Amino acid sequence: MAKVTVKLFGVYRMDTHLAKAEIEAQKLDELLEILHTQIEQKAKSEGTAAQIKDLSFKDATIFINGERCRKRRQKLGDGDEIWILSPASGG
Amino acid sequence: MTDYQGYMGKVLFVDLSKQTYGEFPWTDKDRRRTLGGKVMAADILLHHITPEMKAFDEDNWLVITTGPLTGTGCPNTSRFNISTISPLTGILTSSNCGGDFGLALKRAGYDGAVITGKSETPVHLRITEKEVTFEDAGKLWGMTTGETQKNIHRTHGMLAIGPAGENKVLYACVFSGERTAGRGGVGAVFGDKKLKAVSAFGTKLPKIANREKLKELNVKWTKLLQTHPLTGRQLPRLGTAGLVSPMQAHSILATKNFSAGRYDDFEMISGEELAENHLVSNAACTTCVIRCARMCKVDDKVVKGPELETLGLLGANILNNDIEKIIRWNYEIDELGMDSISCAGSVAFAMELAEKGVHDFGVHFGETDNLSQMFRDIAYREGEGNYLADGSKRMSEQFGGEEYAIHAKGMELAAYEPRHAVGHGLGYATSNRGGCHLNAGYMVVVEGLGLEVDSLTPHGKAALAITFQNLMEAVSACGSCLFTSYAVLPGFLIDKPNMKATRAILTAFPYVGPVVNLLNHFTKIPQMNIPLVPHGYAVKYATGMRSTMASLLTWGTYGYNAERIANIILGQKADADKLPKRLTEELQDPNNPKTKVPLEQMKKVYYRARGWKKGIPTWHRLKSLGIDIDKSVYDEALARAWR
Repeated sequence: MAKVTVKLFGVYRMDTHLAKAEIEAQKLDELLEILHTQIEQKAKSEGTAAQIKDLSFKDATIFINGERCRKRRQKLGDGDEIWILSPASGG
Repeated sequence: MTDYQGYMGKVLFVDLSKQTYGEFPWTDKDRRRTLGGKVMAADILLHHITPEMKAFDEDNWLVITTGPLTGTGCPNTSRFNISTISPLTGILTSSNCGGDFGLALKRAGYDGAVITGKSETPVHLRITEKEVTFEDAGKLWGMTTGETQKNIHRTHGMLAIGPAGENKVLYACVFSGERTAGRGGVGAVFGDKKLKAVSAFGTKLPKIANREKLKELNVKWTKLLQTHPLTGRQLPRLGTAGLVSPMQAHSILATKNFSAGRYDDFEMISGEELAENHLVSNAACTTCVIRCARMCKVDDKVVKGPELETLGLLGANILNNDIEKIIRWNYEIDELGMDSISCAGSVAFAMELAEKGVHDFGVHFGETDNLSQMFRDIAYREGEGNYLADGSKRMSEQFGGEEYAIHAKGMELAAYEPRHAVGHGLGYATSNRGGCHLNAGYMVVVEGLGLEVDSLTPHGKAALAITFQNLMEAVSACGSCLFTSYAVLPGFLIDKPNMKATRAILTAFPYVGPVVNLLNHFTKIPQMNIPLVPHGYAVKYATGMRSTMASLLTWGTYGYNAERIANIILGQKADADKLPKRLTEELQDPNNPKTKVPLEQMKKVYYRARGWKKGIPTWHRLKSLGIDIDKSVYDEALARAWR
């Protein structure tokens, strides 16, 4: 298990009210599932339904240690930093 | 007068020296050729300028124009444009602005105003349906932009300058409400003419050629903008400030005077931080359905919050992670009446000159306590601020450091570091008004921020830059907000970046350049309107003029070429489309040889596709576009450009 830091940006962060999480996971897809569960639990405990539609983050733009990652089966390493950005950021 | 609807049919001509006014001749033929807005302004100036003319000459005209959609009720069409010879660059500048002035000018019965001469004393030009008056502005002189506007009739649409304009800071701007005609120093030209403010008031409205069809279109257009991922979700939720984080991710967040594309403390100056801890409310220009503006608090006042450019350039680019300071500085710079992009760019350059031991201007990377004072010194041209008031190009001519003076044609670059978005770099270099992201074609939106087209390949970038430059030129000419042009990017390509089909399309994008270039050159091909660009329909329904996608591209191409040849007449050299060496010769990432802007390679393709020879439209190209200037003027300008 790798202990990684996850940071959410853009509309994902605005919808989930979650900026950062520490998660243990081996691969990216596993991490996203854990994150999904954490967000749902947080929304339940706060009494706020998470407004986020794409909780599987399948449309997210993901960066691992600053590099764009498209592989959901990407293996994670201890201390990795994962950035999850919502699509559509022009302005 | 005009046979077209949508227009008011009159353009005002004002002479400040003589304090007289009349009508500027503008015919339906002119309207068909230029549509309005910045294209109209470019055409007016092209036929007025002479090679010797300078920004602070008495007969440098200020040309304020609206578009045919301004005041028609179409979404996001309160815009107006101010064009003139820029004191910062010496060539044409044009500033597209929101606020209330454009609408008010039309209601007073005018599509535009051409202002010449210089007043001997400060003047407030008041335009109403009945008359134009030259009111004493002695009491307003010295006031900030906000104070000035408070002291003018509240029912009027307004334009005002602050102390920076009065003191001819070369990047002083003009305010309409809290929106800004920001770039190129139009405020300094106002100040030089002692024109402190312009106000307009009236009750007229443009007639509409096909009201029912336009109403129907507006419903669909509003829906398109409000459901599009960029204009319906990202911009209303986070404003332009929401770009800080994706720019960091894509390595295009200008950091430490563009020496890097990432900033360790980016989260502290991000759109998310602004939204979560500083946002009071959203705000919008009149008729806007996007509502991207952010309102924040400074002391107890609710004021306009910083846009992305200010967050980036007064944050990462000077190594400042204090967002509260940026909010405050943004307000101070607005009140002083300066362009925050050029101001911040000049500060960053001064910081690097100090760091390299060339000259200490009293400002240093990471030190921010004295910056409020520096902004004031710039606006009043006091102490070291007097150097910074002239912009980074002139500073580099005096002190050195040309290779890291971050400007194009004398105008400081916006907050996007182009070594990781090379097409955007091409845009900066070829942009007619200088280092502007919008006039550049805003290529970062396809190179990572909206679509993920390979941002490091030069392939296809020339074609895309031309298309977006022309399209944005036309959208601006309509009187529309440039953000409405984003809807041209199909939503699914943005919303589904990981889908195989999206990836296949975006991978192929750079290789369709030759096809795109056919459209760029033969603009009359798409003789239809497309739903993603409703402007063509809107012009047709508002004015009764024949208007298709081909018309829009033709107007855009006309404008871009008219501006370019005007610049050549004003003395722009053939090799002016360039970037500082830092961006074209130094690698952003030493381990990746692609991380610099391959400008010369892209420029060759760009010029060929534009029908330009080394940056100058050929005589044949001008004739084919219907740009009518004297052959002798062209030949003389060409000879000077090559000299």
